Amino acid sequence: MEQSLTDPNALPAARASSARRSRALYIWGKLPQLTPLILALRNMRARLWRTLLTCLGIILGVAVILAISITNDSTLKSIRNVFDEASGRASLIVEASSPSSEGIRESVAARVRSFDGVVVAAPSVRATTLLAAESENWQIVFTMNGQAAGNTLQVLGVDPAIDRDARDYEIIAGRWLKDGAYEAIVTDEYAAEKELELGDDLIIILPGGGVERLPIVGLIKRDGAGLLNDGDIAFVSITVVQDLFERGGSIDDVSIVTTPEIANNTNELTKLKEGLAERLGEEYTVSYPASRGQLVTQMLSTYQQGLQFFSVVALFVGAFLIYNAFSMTVLERTREIGMLRALGSTRAQIASMVLTEAAALAVIGSALGVAFGVVLARGLIWMLGAVVSTSVDIIEVPLSGLITAVGIGTAVTVGSALMPALQAARTSPLEALRVQARPASRLRHISWISGLVLMAAAWISIYRINWPPEISFNIGSLSILILLFGATLTVPLVVGAADRIARPVAIAIFGNEGMLGAGNVSRSTGRTSLTVASLMIGLAMVIANNSLATAFITDITAWVETAIGGDLYVRAPLPMRENFERQLLGVPGVGGVTKIRYFSVKVAKSEIPPNVAEQDTVIFAAIDPDTYRAVGEFEFATNQGDADANWARFRRGDALFISNVVADRYNLEQGDTLRLVTRRGEHDFYVAALAVDFTGQGMIVSGSWNDMQRWFGEHNVDRYTISLAPGYTTEEVAAEIESRYQDTRSISVETTDEFKKQILDLSEQSFRLFDVLGLIGVVVAALGVINTLMMNVLERQREIGALRSLGLTRWQTTKMVLAEAATLGAIGGVFGLAFGYVMSKIFVLALNTISGYDLEYIFAPEAFAVSVFIALGVSQFAALYPAWKAAGVNIVEAIKHE
Amino acid sequence: MAVLEANQVKKQYQMGEVTVSALDDVSLVVNKGEFVAIMGPSGSGKSTLLHLLGGLDGTSDGEITLAGQPLSQLNDNQITVVRRRKVGFIFQFYNLLPTLTAEENVGLPLLIDGQALDKHRERLERLLALVGLSDRAHHKPDQLSGGQQQRVAIARAFVNEPEIVLADEPTGNLDSKSGTAILELLRKTCDELGATIVMVTHDPRAASFADRVVFLKDGKIVRELKNGSTGHSVQPIMDVMAGLEL
Repeated sequence: MEQSLTDPNALPAARASSARRSRALYIWGKLPQLTPLILALRNMRARLWRTLLTCLGIILGVAVILAISITNDSTLKSIRNVFDEASGRASLIVEASSPSSEGIRESVAARVRSFDGVVVAAPSVRATTLLAAESENWQIVFTMNGQAAGNTLQVLGVDPAIDRDARDYEIIAGRWLKDGAYEAIVTDEYAAEKELELGDDLIIILPGGGVERLPIVGLIKRDGAGLLNDGDIAFVSITVVQDLFERGGSIDDVSIVTTPEIANNTNELTKLKEGLAERLGEEYTVSYPASRGQLVTQMLSTYQQGLQFFSVVALFVGAFLIYNAFSMTVLERTREIGMLRALGSTRAQIASMVLTEAAALAVIGSALGVAFGVVLARGLIWMLGAVVSTSVDIIEVPLSGLITAVGIGTAVTVGSALMPALQAARTSPLEALRVQARPASRLRHISWISGLVLMAAAWISIYRINWPPEISFNIGSLSILILLFGATLTVPLVVGAADRIARPVAIAIFGNEGMLGAGNVSRSTGRTSLTVASLMIGLAMVIANNSLATAFITDITAWVETAIGGDLYVRAPLPMRENFERQLLGVPGVGGVTKIRYFSVKVAKSEIPPNVAEQDTVIFAAIDPDTYRAVGEFEFATNQGDADANWARFRRGDALFISNVVADRYNLEQGDTLRLVTRRGEHDFYVAALAVDFTGQGMIVSGSWNDMQRWFGEHNVDRYTISLAPGYTTEEVAAEIESRYQDTRSISVETTDEFKKQILDLSEQSFRLFDVLGLIGVVVAALGVINTLMMNVLERQREIGALRSLGLTRWQTTKMVLAEAATLGAIGGVFGLAFGYVMSKIFVLALNTISGYDLEYIFAPEAFAVSVFIALGVSQFAALYPAWKAAGVNIVEAIKHE
Repeated sequence: MAVLEANQVKKQYQMGEVTVSALDDVSLVVNKGEFVAIMGPSGSGKSTLLHLLGGLDGTSDGEITLAGQPLSQLNDNQITVVRRRKVGFIFQFYNLLPTLTAEENVGLPLLIDGQALDKHRERLERLLALVGLSDRAHHKPDQLSGGQQQRVAIARAFVNEPEIVLADEPTGNLDSKSGTAILELLRKTCDELGATIVMVTHDPRAASFADRVVFLKDGKIVRELKNGSTGHSVQPIMDVMAGLEL
């Protein structure tokens, strides 16, 4: 040692290190208040692996909460942004109260323009078409919000003279449109994707079957107005679109730019909005641009609530990990704390030392959690992209989400450390003198009775109390958390018994080492209980999500099998004419044809419950009762009486079949009426029956073809469903229809089986996000298993050393720890399965309550089997490192260890 | 006949840049049926020697032959198996498994060896009777006194009928009465069962129960003392120790 200090090379390094230490000591010397922090930091460094594990628990919890917040916020913002950006400077939009293919009269724009405060009133007309080159392989793409974007192109007819005063266009090549000219402007991304250049012709198909060549005179950036239809949009002079798409003198909406004084003053804008609505009459609706994404956001709301709940559960599991880690730290340091107490530390100082450590960890964990949350959000948004139609371009970290995630993360960390801190504060100075640390009691003080009481309270809250809708989700979520917490408190009650049951199994698998390992789980009941509880919650979430998916998919499959009748679907990017039905009937092999049209309809304000949105929109599916039953059937809800009688009432008109979801939302039953906003004002429709229908997340009503024509002025067809005549195959009939009409009508024929598969795939995809969150819960639980086993191994160093000296080989030591982990996994698995079952039932009930679905719980054995596998797999995986550490115990050091 | 042989054994530890010699050229032969006590002041290397004799640690030089097998030629697993089948250990802090009953703790080496306890029930009962704990067979360690726990540990050390039993301060954690009982028990196993025992102790009274006392100082054997056939003469041992501690 002396030699090294006199070594001329060693001196500078030694001095530098000593200087660093001196600076730290100097600061500490000046600020004794730093003592808890310095002790906490040194303890964190001394127990680095546990610090890292605890930190990882906080990171994951905070990250999940933030990621869900970012995902939800970004999705909604992106949806609203499309409408906002596309509207540019427009503050208000005028459109038909009841949207229809006929649109509104062009003269409305002039009427609006004359209104005081209106600077610009820009009319537009929309049409959906397809590039002629793509009409053969046209396909529909389904998304969760029911939109079929596919490779369709939206053509927006605008007034070239004034539209740039209302909407934002960033022309990056070429020029702006000339009034009345047969030419188009597209986004640069669309042009690049379709290999089109400035000066090329945009060849689009027309309703009559012909094509039109529109030279591309300008390219705009996919921004502002270019965001519409996900950028697949062409801007054409309004008169040209009216001409090509047979829209006569009608338009779809008018974008209003007001004076800056009105635009920047909410009260003034509201006043103008109300004034305009009054002047224009019931036939028109005046709305804010962003509210046009309302149907989409309405459909996503249940889904987003579910995601939020799962994120809270992940942190809940994280809290167990943090609590356990701090309990272990306190237990491990009992002598040290006793010594500090003997040296004069007060109880408050001891508690503050533990809490300071928690706060330091919370700060580090939250900061890293925020970083990981942003990364995780990108992944979730990418996954969500598969199930919603709008591409999420805005990824913003919402301040509220950030504050919530960091706030909850910190509160949970410090809160979880509170009991261990108090436990540390209670340490007697005598502990410093004891040979062995007294095993600390953790959950012992908390009686399992309170667990049962909490579980009973949660059960009553979930099953017996009818909470008001506006708080039912939050109360329900809280009740589930209370139920899980209550279950956690009851775990110690059965750990002993569970251990005795698990022991023979452990012996059968791991031999005599299995007996040694399995027995260890009941030695520290508190620690075991929390580990088991975290596993239980992780698994329960996986099972519940899986069961919910099974219930949902089983129901949707039944609906698909019943409601999606027929053998073939004929669709087109442009609405089809009614007379096409006769032509289809003339195709050999076509036995029956029925038509359907979907459009959105506003629900009268008087129907809307006060707690939901200001505006409500449902999908109106118009069907022809005379032909519908020849190819398909409705799956009526239970207790809806005779199907024939329901159809008879439906056929008489002014009647609807409404989905369970709609019935639940407006509190309707068979025989009630639902008031809808029609072209002819508000009108009551008789509810002929409640039916199962998942279209548009269930926000759908079905009415007769005649009612559609009469009340909504619609006449086009979105889809023809065909049933085959005996002796024909789907392939040959589809080929025949395509050969006859594909060129002239740009139709696409698909089998109903393909369609059903698309719907089921989409449904399955929408549950994957929940699987990811459930698995994050399992990962946090796995960290808990590592933590517990590691602590068990460290605590039993001397014992392991003794066993090794008695002849236990390294491999046998490894097996012993693996057996202990397997026992933990098995107990957690059994609890997880039991609570998974309970949670599954609650989840189905919750979804039914929130969404209005009428799902039934279905036992999904594969979910339970997967969970057993996860429980055992996770516990074994988590045990690898502790087992390796145990096998590597230095016998001589260990048996010296007190 | 030699059961255990240490031949010019050295043990060195690296403490940072400094090499510390814990044992230096120690040679020792323990014959079958012999009860040998190892004594010495703190830091003399007596525990280190016991660890090396039991194969818990490796020598830096020299050879230890246990039941005819030179330990340096065996790998970790082979040494573990030798320890399991040919050596019994008794520790100061008993080191019983709290999850096992007294009887199961006695049978622990058999369990580790993959054997079913049912096949050895008679042997377990005999050993428990030998240590006077027949009525405590199904008690767990926390239901036993320190002396009773150490008796269980002694029974455990003999369950595999080992060639040699190594005891590290077996009475260090016991009161005088319990300690004497334990030492009498160890003496009895030698006299009646022909057991071979090497015991590390710092207590002259404990060492007086042995046939031979080996004194260590600074890692070297400095003296040996044979107890007379009557045994139990503490004074000569105390005299040697006093000389060593000066």
